[in-house]
Amino acid sequence: MEAAIKDQLVSIEKPELVAPPDWEPVIMGILCNWCSYAGSDLTGTSRIQYPPNIRIIRVPCSSRVDPWFLIKSLQTTADGVLVSGCHPGDCHYISGNYFARRRFLVTKKLLNFVGFHENRIQFSWVSAAEGPKFAKVVNKVTEDIKKLGPLHLYKKENFEKK
Amino acid sequence: MARVGVFVCFCGANIADYVDVPQVVEEVKRIKEVKFATEYKYMCSDPGQGMIRDAIVQYKLTSIVVAACSPRMHEKTFRKALSDAGMNPYLLEVANIREHSSWVHQKNKKAATDKAMDLCRMAVAKSIANEQLHEISVPVTKRALVIGGGIAGIQAALDIADARIPVVLVERSPSIGGKMAQLDETFPTLDCAQCILTPKMVDVASHPYIELIPYSEVIELQGFVGNYKVKIRKKASYVNFKTCTGCGACWQKCPVKVPNEYNMGIDKRKAIYTPFPQAVPNKPVIDAEHCTMLLKGKCGICAKVCDKGSIDYTMQDEIIEREIGAVVVATGYDMWDPKPYEEYGVGRFKDIITSLEFERMVSANGPTNGLPLRPSDGKVPKNVVFIKCVGSRDEAKGIEYCSKICCMYTTKHTILLHHKVHGSHAYVFYMDIRAAGKGYEEFVKKAQVDTGTTYLRGRVSKIYKKGDKLMVRGEDAQIGQVVEVEADLVVLATAVSAPKDNPDLARLLGISYDKYGYLSEAHPKLRPVETAKAGIFLAGCTQAPKDIPETVSQASACAAKVCGLFAGDTMKKDPMISTINNEYCSGCQNCLNVCPYGAIVTDDVPVGHGSKDLRTVAKINEGVCQGCGSCVAICRSMAINLAGFTDPQIINEIVSI
Amino acid sequence: MNYTNQIQEIAAKLFAEGKIDVFVGYRMNGFDDNQVPVLITGPQDVSKLVFTDKSVFNLVNYLKTDHTRKKRVGLVVKGCDSRALNLMLTEKQVKRENLYVVGICCEGVVDDAGQKMQNCLECIVPEAVVYDELLGTAGKAETRAYKVNVDIAALAEKPLTERAAYFEEVFENCIRCNACRHSCPLCYCAKCCIDQETAALYNGANTTSAAFHALMTWSLHLAGRCVDCRNCEKACPSHLPLHLLHKQNESVIYENFQEHLAGVIPDDRGAFYKYSLKDPDDFIM
Repeated sequence: MEAAIKDQLVSIEKPELVAPPDWEPVIMGILCNWCSYAGSDLTGTSRIQYPPNIRIIRVPCSSRVDPWFLIKSLQTTADGVLVSGCHPGDCHYISGNYFARRRFLVTKKLLNFVGFHENRIQFSWVSAAEGPKFAKVVNKVTEDIKKLGPLHLYKKENFEKK
Repeated sequence: MARVGVFVCFCGANIADYVDVPQVVEEVKRIKEVKFATEYKYMCSDPGQGMIRDAIVQYKLTSIVVAACSPRMHEKTFRKALSDAGMNPYLLEVANIREHSSWVHQKNKKAATDKAMDLCRMAVAKSIANEQLHEISVPVTKRALVIGGGIAGIQAALDIADARIPVVLVERSPSIGGKMAQLDETFPTLDCAQCILTPKMVDVASHPYIELIPYSEVIELQGFVGNYKVKIRKKASYVNFKTCTGCGACWQKCPVKVPNEYNMGIDKRKAIYTPFPQAVPNKPVIDAEHCTMLLKGKCGICAKVCDKGSIDYTMQDEIIEREIGAVVVATGYDMWDPKPYEEYGVGRFKDIITSLEFERMVSANGPTNGLPLRPSDGKVPKNVVFIKCVGSRDEAKGIEYCSKICCMYTTKHTILLHHKVHGSHAYVFYMDIRAAGKGYEEFVKKAQVDTGTTYLRGRVSKIYKKGDKLMVRGEDAQIGQVVEVEADLVVLATAVSAPKDNPDLARLLGISYDKYGYLSEAHPKLRPVETAKAGIFLAGCTQAPKDIPETVSQASACAAKVCGLFAGDTMKKDPMISTINNEYCSGCQNCLNVCPYGAIVTDDVPVGHGSKDLRTVAKINEGVCQGCGSCVAICRSMAINLAGFTDPQIINEIVSI
Repeated sequence: MNYTNQIQEIAAKLFAEGKIDVFVGYRMNGFDDNQVPVLITGPQDVSKLVFTDKSVFNLVNYLKTDHTRKKRVGLVVKGCDSRALNLMLTEKQVKRENLYVVGICCEGVVDDAGQKMQNCLECIVPEAVVYDELLGTAGKAETRAYKVNVDIAALAEKPLTERAAYFEEVFENCIRCNACRHSCPLCYCAKCCIDQETAALYNGANTTSAAFHALMTWSLHLAGRCVDCRNCEKACPSHLPLHLLHKQNESVIYENFQEHLAGVIPDDRGAFYKYSLKDPDDFIM
């Protein structure tokens, strides 16, 4: 058993840098309940089609998003993350998205600094009325991340989990 | 060990056509914590909910995942099903496989199915970390605040007060009455506005459950539903209302003349004034911007003539604080300024007036004794052109929306003109006649026949002067020709716009507003009088343009909501709020800074068990916390967590796929 | 820079007047010309105190310990140390009235090889910003302009893959001993997130991935608060360039939010605990 895991680890020491032909990225989408999640629901109700790569997590407000969630996503399951909240001034909780905005910028720059392409960490403001915008954002993020290919950084040890 | 039950919904064909539901069920069965998984046509139906209830008992489930539509749709429904089975309702998680999968990936069934599986895995993983939560009950202060004393505020205040709930009614101007007090007659019945409004105004003043605070503004609102604290600035009136009898000696003698807002500046009022003769309260105030005594220390005539000694030039603004449980916002509307319509000669030609100016002139208590007069020469006009949709439905110059009331009041104006000026003729330029409402279409039809008004369908392109007449050039789209009408007077049916202070008020109250400045309701159809902030309701035009019957209905609806809120001594609150683990809290107090509601305070707790040595930690005020999670994300020591969205729950979701 | 005599005099006087219970300063380590922190409890040990350009450690760190908590403490602070102290005061971790602070107008400290430390070369707040007594004379403040750290600037110019490879090696060399955390005056949490029951969520194993996760989270917890004293780097047994993470965050915050450097202004909380309506928005779709 141990040997099997060891073999596996050795085999992934050199991760393939070329994406397998059937590779599809996983994008972790963290959306605030009041604007972006409602907006994504509207995308559904309007039957606007978008790529199926995003996995959506609902949080009450973009200010609930600890930078830790982004780091954790990129380190474990995701090839990219998208965090979306209410437009500035429209936060259901008055000022949450302003606090979040600062953290997002610093987190994005830091992750980029240590070697993650900036397109892997994306943010958007999507209101509850912007169903078409949500689809557009997901399209763009998916396209960007498909271009970048699979994310291997720091994921090696987690491969055994799968 | 968690025992999770998963219920996957077909939603008729909505999900089943695009997601392979049986495959999703098979896949989730492979998760070791899932002890039961099934599918059904409509999970939200009674039999569907019955399946959940039965499975909870039969399989001793510890948490439930329903894979169906958005949790924003049926989370409450399914929570109730859990409750009915004796399970804590917050052990439910909803996987949104309709809005987030079947409806948006209709061309790729495999991908939609894979995604649905992932969404189910995430929901299962999250549900494993779910905890039992219990509704919080919060005491309620049974007193309502009504902001604005127009017909909306008056109706809401009276209805609430009639239910024997104390009301604080705050009005910015010296008298209640609002825009309706400026109207002459009201469509479609042509009741005299004063006759139906003033009795209500008097009722407000004399109602034992209403505290009327005129000439005041709300400056601060703190707290949360059921427990608000409001600060009201009562502007200095310089008149002691307790001793003033409203005899009127002061304003008769006052030498300062100021344009009269009530009459749209057509005549003058004094610096000490009551806005109109039927004002409530019928006590004068001094306009500090114009009173020479207050500005320069010279005059003082009003004090000399007042035999009650009620004039007090040293009076200061006063801050009044009240504890209240709910707020009704009824700040009304502004008339849109037609200045951008340069081609009409707005501002250049005196004989172009707005509809409210016309309304004042034809009012029995108006500045011209009920006769419309040309501002240029004071003559009675014979040919009057009414132009509708000035500002409304005009993206380029005005606003996109329909102001809703202009068609009707313009019709009313043609009748009033017909009644007041014999031999007069009215022309109406219109885009559409929108007369939806009880008796409205009949009213318009009858008016057209009775008054003989010429209706011209089309926009006016230019107005120019010819002698002392105004030439109105426009297109009559029905005959496809340009027409010119010689007019003595032009009346613009200007749009209804949101009060310009609404954004400030919204910020102060912590509610949202739309791009026009109208305050936003919680749901356009199903919660039209509530705002997103619990305990704050909207009545009248502050939410969107509407006529008097609609405004009164909405005001009464607000009253019903307030009475419902105050029906018990406590109210229930969602338990999804922040909690603090004292042991982990290092007391840095950064969370106090980020909380938008001031819901975090400090508390001194023993350093160890039974220790007398105290240390300071943060503490959540359960009643105030709204559950945004701002504090959770900035807490470095992870001392704060947000029930329902804890770190373990979210991380479980992230790592589960 | 040598304030040994002054500091000895001050400490002796404070003990004589009964104003302090302990004094935190530096002493020689006893085998070479480097110094170590010392905590003295009475006038008998005052002669051990020294202060030169070898006084590298940030003594504010010792205000976290039980030896100093609830006691009246005298301590020596350089510019960067005093900023950490300011933040400790803002974040209610120490009481100002319990402290007697000897501020230094720092001329920069040197490393083992006698070279001036990099952070001192780039320092724009060398004088103590909070003190009861200030030693030395302040330089001209206006001549100092904030410059992005040279290492950051150099790395930022490198291609992404090179940076990724560089940092992967950095995180691989981390042995998860947490010395960086212990040495940081601002890591005072009653229980660090990494040590909690939820540590499983943090993936506590000693792997590159876990180290990446821990160090990134740690640096974000210090974003807008780090004062660049480099205690963490001095403590790190693997000699990891930890300042890279902190200086990166500092430069982003300084350039984008128009904030002061951490701890320079009294009662000024870290950049993450406030916001401005003018914060950059162009990186958000």
